[in-house]
Amino acid sequence: MLIGNVKLAWHFYQQERQHSHQRLLRWTQGVLLLFIVTLSQSSASIQNYLDKNLQGLLGADAVLSQKHPLTAKQYAAVTALIDEMVVTQQIQTTLTHNGKWQRAKLKAVDSHYPLQGELLTSQSLQHQGQQTVGGPESGQIWLDARLFASLSLTIGDHILLAEKPFLVSRILQHEPDRLMEGHSVDMRAMVNAADFASLAFAADLVHYRYLIAATSAQISSLLHWQQKNLPAAQVHHKQGAHPLALFWQRTENFIGLASIILFFMAAIAIEQLAQVYLKKDQYFSAICMSLGASKATGMQVSLFKWLIALALLLPLVLLLSTVFHWLIIYWLQETFINLPWHWNIFSMLKTTGFVVIIFAVFHAPVWLALQQTSVAKLFISTSNGTSHWLSKVSSLLVLLGVVITYSDNGLLTLMMVATIVITITLMIVLSWATLTVGEKATQNISGLIPFALFMMKQRLISKSTQILGVGLCAFLLLFTLMLLKDIGATMASYQRQHDGNVMVSQATQSQLTYINRWAKQQNITIRQAKPYMYAKLVAVNEQSLTEFSQKPSDSLATFTRPIRLHWSETIPPNNHIVDGQWWRANTQNWQQISVEQEVMTDLGLQLGDWLTFYIGQQSFNFEISASHAFKPGAGSITFWVQMPAAALAHIQAPHFNMASLEVEQQQWPLLTNLWQKFPTLRMLSLKEMTDRFDTMLAMITKVISGFSLMIIVLSAVVILASLNALESREMKKNSIVMSFGFSQSTCLRLNVIEWLVTATITAVGAIVGTYIAGLLIYQSQFSLTYKPDFIWLLATLSTILLVVTTLGVYASRKSLRSSVRQLMSDT
Amino acid sequence: MSSYIELKNISHSFQLNQEKVTLFDELNLSIVQGQSYAITGPSGAGKSSLLMLMSGLEQPTTGQGLYVKAGQSASLDALRADIGFIFQQFHLLAELTALNNVALPLKLRGDKQALEKARTWLTKVGLSHRINHKPSELSGGEQQRVAIARALVFEPSFIFADEPTGNLDQTSATEIADILFACCQENNAGLVVVTHSDILANRAQHIFSLADGQYSQQSKQALQVAAC
Repeated sequence: MLIGNVKLAWHFYQQERQHSHQRLLRWTQGVLLLFIVTLSQSSASIQNYLDKNLQGLLGADAVLSQKHPLTAKQYAAVTALIDEMVVTQQIQTTLTHNGKWQRAKLKAVDSHYPLQGELLTSQSLQHQGQQTVGGPESGQIWLDARLFASLSLTIGDHILLAEKPFLVSRILQHEPDRLMEGHSVDMRAMVNAADFASLAFAADLVHYRYLIAATSAQISSLLHWQQKNLPAAQVHHKQGAHPLALFWQRTENFIGLASIILFFMAAIAIEQLAQVYLKKDQYFSAICMSLGASKATGMQVSLFKWLIALALLLPLVLLLSTVFHWLIIYWLQETFINLPWHWNIFSMLKTTGFVVIIFAVFHAPVWLALQQTSVAKLFISTSNGTSHWLSKVSSLLVLLGVVITYSDNGLLTLMMVATIVITITLMIVLSWATLTVGEKATQNISGLIPFALFMMKQRLISKSTQILGVGLCAFLLLFTLMLLKDIGATMASYQRQHDGNVMVSQATQSQLTYINRWAKQQNITIRQAKPYMYAKLVAVNEQSLTEFSQKPSDSLATFTRPIRLHWSETIPPNNHIVDGQWWRANTQNWQQISVEQEVMTDLGLQLGDWLTFYIGQQSFNFEISASHAFKPGAGSITFWVQMPAAALAHIQAPHFNMASLEVEQQQWPLLTNLWQKFPTLRMLSLKEMTDRFDTMLAMITKVISGFSLMIIVLSAVVILASLNALESREMKKNSIVMSFGFSQSTCLRLNVIEWLVTATITAVGAIVGTYIAGLLIYQSQFSLTYKPDFIWLLATLSTILLVVTTLGVYASRKSLRSSVRQLMSDT
Repeated sequence: MSSYIELKNISHSFQLNQEKVTLFDELNLSIVQGQSYAITGPSGAGKSSLLMLMSGLEQPTTGQGLYVKAGQSASLDALRADIGFIFQQFHLLAELTALNNVALPLKLRGDKQALEKARTWLTKVGLSHRINHKPSELSGGEQQRVAIARALVFEPSFIFADEPTGNLDQTSATEIADILFACCQENNAGLVVVTHSDILANRAQHIFSLADGQYSQQSKQALQVAAC
C-alpha cells in the first residue's frame, strides 16, 4: 500500500514538476538551503581549523597574561604548579626609519623562547622560514614581513626605537604562540628581553605573557590558583575557548541574523505557495476518498510528493554549496592562514535536517487541511479557519525559535524584529485605508481606477497578503542596500566632522602634557581630551563574569580584556541618561557607576547590580546607578563605563588619556618626532583609520552584496509565488471582464493599475520601515546620526514602483492570456 | 432598425493529430437583434465553436462575419461592446456579493448608478432577498439568475448563452429559461443559446441543428414568453 502510494506520488510529482508552484517552491527551498548549508560548512571548516591549531600550534599548553609582572611569590607559586614557564613581554610601539613610521607590537623574549612549537625566521622576504632557537641577540631586532616591507628595510639596516638604534638581522615568519594571543592583524617585531628592559618603557604599558607547559591536571590547578590569587589575569588553555573561535562565533551569529531575514522571506513565499498546494492536494485527496481510498492515502501521497521534490533538489544544492564553500574558504584564507577546504558530513546532515524540519512546519497547513478533508469538499468548498490560523501561529513560533537560536546581539535582533512588526502593521493599515478610502472616494467617478480599487477592496485579504509579501521583501532589500551605502558615507563624514584627523587612543599624563605644549607650539588644535584608567571587570553581583553571562556578544568579548574607565562629575556632553540617575557633582558616594545602555542589554545588567573591577592590582565594587547612551554632536570619544571623580581618591592606578587632534597637511612630518620621543604613544592618523575602515567596509560590502543577491532572488520568488497563488482567480476575472465586451488591453490596464497601487503601498511601507530601522539601528548600533537622503529614498521609491509593477505585470502575462472560451470550456 | 449578425460562406476547420477536422463548410446564417436562437447537436459537433464565431471571439478559417448596426456594416470586432455571455458554470466572482457581481460590468463602464441598476435587475430575476449573499451561499439556479442579471444589466444587443441550464434540475432549468427568454425579449436583445436540451431549444424562435459539418435551420413564428 505504502509502495503504491510512493509510486503514485512519484507519478504526480513528474506531472507537476514543470508547474509554476513546484518550480517556485524548488527555488525557495534551494536558495535557503544553499545559504544555510554553505554557511554551516564554512563554519565547520573554521572550527576544525581552530581545533587543530589548538592541538599543535599554540606554542604552550596554557598562557597566563596580565598587565603586570608576577611578583616573586606569585612566580614561585606558579612554577610549583607546572612543568616549565617562559615569559614574554609585549608593548604597542611605533618604529621609525627614514621618515617613515609604522605601529607594531614589539615582543621581548629570552633564550628559552619558544617553549613549544617552531619559531621560523628568514634572511630575506623571498626565503622560506628556518627553525630558530631563541630570540634575537642583544642590539638586534627581527621584524615580520609586512612591517619590514612597509618601512622599506633591508637586512643590515638600523632602525630607531625610543631613540636607540637596532640592527635588523632577520625576518620573522612564524611565532608559535601567536594564535593564543587572539586574532590580530598588528604588525610585529621582536627584540631581546635585556634590550627591552633598557628601553625603560612605562611599566603600566607592558603586557606580560607567561607561556606554560603543563598537563591537564596541572592546568586545572593553575586555573584554581589564578581565580583565587589573580582574578584579573587572563588564562588561555587548550581546554578553553580560543579567542579566534569567539571572534568567529560572533561573526557567525551576525550572519545568523541575516539568515533569519532569509527565513522570513522563505516563510512568506511558502505561505503563498501553500494556497496552491492546498487546493490541488485537497482536491486529489477528496477524489481518492470518493473512490474508496482512506484519508491516509491523500496525506501520504502529498507527503511523499513533497519529500521526492526535496530529495531531488538536495544533490544540486549540495553541489552548489560545495562550490560556494570552496570560494568562501579561499576568501577567508586572508584571515585564517592555511585554512583547508574540508567537507563536514555531520554538519551538512544536521543543517539539512534542521532546515527540512522548518520547511515541513511551513508546509504543515497543507497536511493539516488534508487531515480535515472529506468527499464533501468536492461539492462544497469551505475554508479551514482554525487549523489555518493554528498553522500560521506554529510557523511564527518556529521563526521565533530560529531568531532566538541565532541571536547574538539581543538589542539589534529586537530592533530588527520590532521594525519588521512595525512595517507589517503599517502595510496592513495602509492597504486597508488606501483601498477603503480610495474605493469610497472614487465611487462616483467613472473609469478603470475606481473599478481596480473596488476589486482590490473586495479582495482585501488576499491582496493584503500579496502586498505584505512583496512589501516585506522590498523593505529587507532596501534596508540592506541602505546599510551598504550609508555605513561608509555617514561614518566617514562623521569622523572627519568631529574627531580631527589624528586620534590619540592612549597617552600617559606626561605624554599628554607634552602633546599639549607641542600642539600649542606647532599651532595644532586639540579637539578633545578625556582621561581614563584601565579596569578589568571580574564579577557581577559576586558572580564571576563567565558565570554571570554565557551568551556571546561583542560586549562580553570586550570585557574579557581590561576596558577604559572614565570619570566625570557631570554627564559628558555627548552622552544622555537612559535610565537611573547620574551622581550629583562633588558627591562623596564614589562607589557608583554608569554603564552604556547596549552593554547593559548585552550582559543582562540592571540598575542596582554590583560590578567588581580589578584596577591596579586591587578590587573595587561599584553599584550601577545609571545607564547612558551616546548623543551625537559633541565629539565621538565616549566610554562604556563611567564613575564619579571622587573615586580617584580611593584608586591608585595609572591615568591615561584619549584625545583627538586636527593636523594640517604640512604638519604631518612633525608626528615622526612625536613618535620617536614616545614610541608607546598610541596614535592613529585618519589615513590609518580610513584604511582600516575601508578594509572593513570591503569585507562588509562583499558580505552584504552576496546577501542582497540572495534577497533579490527570494524577493522575485515571493512576488511570483504570490502571483501564482492568485493566478487562477486573476485568469477568471480577466475572462469575465472580457465577457462584458472589454478587450485584453482593458485587462492589461486594470492589471497595471492594480500593480501600481500594490507597488505604491509596498514602497511607502518599505521606505517608512527602512527609515525606522535606520533611526533605531544606526543610532544605537553605530552611534551615528541617521541622516536619510530623501532624494535617494525617492529615487528608490520610483525604482521599487517600476520594478514591482513591471515584474508584476510581466508575471501576470499568463492570466492576461485568458479568454471567454476558457470560461466556456471550464466545465 | 434592428442590428444583426451575418455569417457568409463560413468554413471552420482545425488540425488534430495531423488530420484536418472540418466543423463547418460554407455556412450562411443571420442573427437578428430581438430574436432567439438555439444551437443544438451532439457533443463535438461544433456548437460552442459556432457560438464563438458568431460572437466574433474566434476567426473562421474562410468566409466573412459582419455586424450590421443602424444600417452600417462592420466586422465582428465591432460587436464586442454589444454582447453579453452566460455560462454553464455561472462564473461568478466568489469574493463578491450577488449585488457586486451584477454591478461589475456597469462599474467597469463607469456607471454611477451601477448599484441601483444591479439591485433592480436582481429584483427582476427574483433575488431581491439574496442581494448581499456570496455565490457560495446561493443554489445553482440562484447563481445562474445572478449570471443572467449580470449579462443583461448593461443592456447588450445580443446574449450568448452556453448550456445555461446544463447544471440545473428540471424545475430550476424551466425557471431559468423563463427568465432568460423573457428578459431578452423585454430588453430587445438577440439571444443565442447552445443546448443539448430539446425543451430549451424548442423555446427559441430559430433552431440550428449541427451534425457532421452540416446544419439545418428550423424557424417558428410564435414564442411564448413569461414575464421578466
